[in-house]
Amino acid sequence: MENDIVRNKKPFKPVIVLLYGFLILLALVYLLPLAWVVVTSLKDDTVIMTSPWALPEKVMFENYTYAWTMGQMGKALLNSLIVSTATLILSMIIGAMAAFAIAKLQWKLSRLTLLYFMIGMMIPIHCLLIPLFVEFSNMPLLNSILVDHLHLFSEKLSLKDTRIGLIIPYVTFSLPITIYIMVGFFESIPNELFEAAVIDGCSVPHMFVTVAIPMARTGFMVTGLMSFVNNWNELLVALVFLTKEELKTLPLALSKFVGPYHTNYTQMFAAIMIAVIPTIIVYVLFANQIVDGLTAGAVKG
Amino acid sequence: MNKLLRNPLWIILFIAPALALFTVVLFIPICEAIYYSFTDYKTLYEKHFIGFDNYVKLFTNDAKMKIALKNSIFFMVFSCVTQLIFGLILAAILTNINKGRNLFKNIYYLPCVLSSAALGLMWMFVFNPKLGINKILESWGILEDCADGPGWLFDTSGFIILPIIVISFVALWQYVGQSMMLYMAQISGISNDIYEAAAIDGCTKRQAFFKITLPLIRPMVATAMSLNAIGSLKFFDLVYNMIPDKYLGGKAYVLATHLYDQAFKFSKLGYGSAIGVVLLIMCLVITVFINKVVKVENYNM
Repeated sequence: MENDIVRNKKPFKPVIVLLYGFLILLALVYLLPLAWVVVTSLKDDTVIMTSPWALPEKVMFENYTYAWTMGQMGKALLNSLIVSTATLILSMIIGAMAAFAIAKLQWKLSRLTLLYFMIGMMIPIHCLLIPLFVEFSNMPLLNSILVDHLHLFSEKLSLKDTRIGLIIPYVTFSLPITIYIMVGFFESIPNELFEAAVIDGCSVPHMFVTVAIPMARTGFMVTGLMSFVNNWNELLVALVFLTKEELKTLPLALSKFVGPYHTNYTQMFAAIMIAVIPTIIVYVLFANQIVDGLTAGAVKG
Repeated sequence: MNKLLRNPLWIILFIAPALALFTVVLFIPICEAIYYSFTDYKTLYEKHFIGFDNYVKLFTNDAKMKIALKNSIFFMVFSCVTQLIFGLILAAILTNINKGRNLFKNIYYLPCVLSSAALGLMWMFVFNPKLGINKILESWGILEDCADGPGWLFDTSGFIILPIIVISFVALWQYVGQSMMLYMAQISGISNDIYEAAAIDGCTKRQAFFKITLPLIRPMVATAMSLNAIGSLKFFDLVYNMIPDKYLGGKAYVLATHLYDQAFKFSKLGYGSAIGVVLLIMCLVITVFINKVVKVENYNM
């Protein structure tokens, strides 16, 4: 490694052994609870009260079947997938376009506009829940224009309990950080490339698609993974905007497994597995990009 | 030459979607939230302007707000201090070992990308008085009967109740990877020359850490700390999922749950907005405070 000369003067010291011992112990603190979720999710619910920490005597895949069908985790998985993917695509397209305009198109107010978007990074979602809830339930302005004046729809529109109603705030909350990171990536592309494209008779959208987007691939990876992970796990906004069972996302559907009188733990753990397996798969595939990307995003946020 | 890049048509087309969405879904609602906080707005009722009444009530006549403030501030202080210490220790160890650095890093970061709702349910089971940790203590002979053990998530005695402390440790477990990553990124950016020069001057490793590494990563300490502080003020998912029975009669309230209950359970939208505005102001104040106190101008590396 880069600091070998100084850092490894005396390679075999007991300190090193101790350090690795500590790291491995800590790794167990991280991995054992998760491994134990896997084990418990395969157990029989009757055994859990007497020996919660033992290995299962017979493997019960029925827990998963129950969580998937009766517990509606299958539906919730699909809902989360639809909402997170739609948010990912929309926020990347809209965010990248805005970032391109700020970084590479030449206009006076570009810096001020960036600053305006940055306000979004300072604001906790909690403050927006109430006004958005009011707006989305009634949509007074939109309804008065579309329904009362233009007569386009016969009934009043409402965004509450719709997927769109969840996707719109998710996209908006993802925008500031997406724009911030993408501006950085677009700015690092040399201007000569764009000038050459102009000489070749390239139009602005053409330039955006053929020069800017391919050059900022890493940026898309970073912002995309970030927005996907965040929205996949989001609970509070979904809790406020969704009440219909068939629309609930994974974090919402999970809380159903805790009953006021009796909780079926094995089924709950099967449900937890269904909720975290997709993120674990994405994490294992892209661990380094995610860690670097989320760090980059966090620093800037 | 760059006439094309100044074409207002394209500038407007590229920036408009993001600008419109951001303004309608984020900027205007924030203004609305501030306005609502000065009204007695309730669902289905007319709203009247009542000046600072909501705020006066919040700070003088609301026992739950006191608890919420106490718990949220505890979360904030706890997470700032512990994440700084553990994040730094982990980063210092991981930047000094050569084998397995990425593996350990990825393991410690893993819970950051998993759903807090799911992990919260898992930890709720671990701290169940009759099943989880107490059962292990019983089998080891430390506890006579698991029911006599500490009521991890039920005990409501003391100034800071035990469940809140348990949840702060769970949050530390889940999010320390984030601080670790931020510090690692900064430490590996420090030039090797500095360490070499120090080693020639007879500097020990410990001295090098306190005299070189720490001062040089101070700007990152400020960043990581503000992130922790804001994150813990906004804390919702873990508390919502881990504490059964309506936050133990309100004793485990945090700001976010207080806001959620007031606005969406009791329909007091104006009062809830006031809590949101308090939260927003706290986030802004703490960020400015940390950056003034901790951050120094970047050293020339």
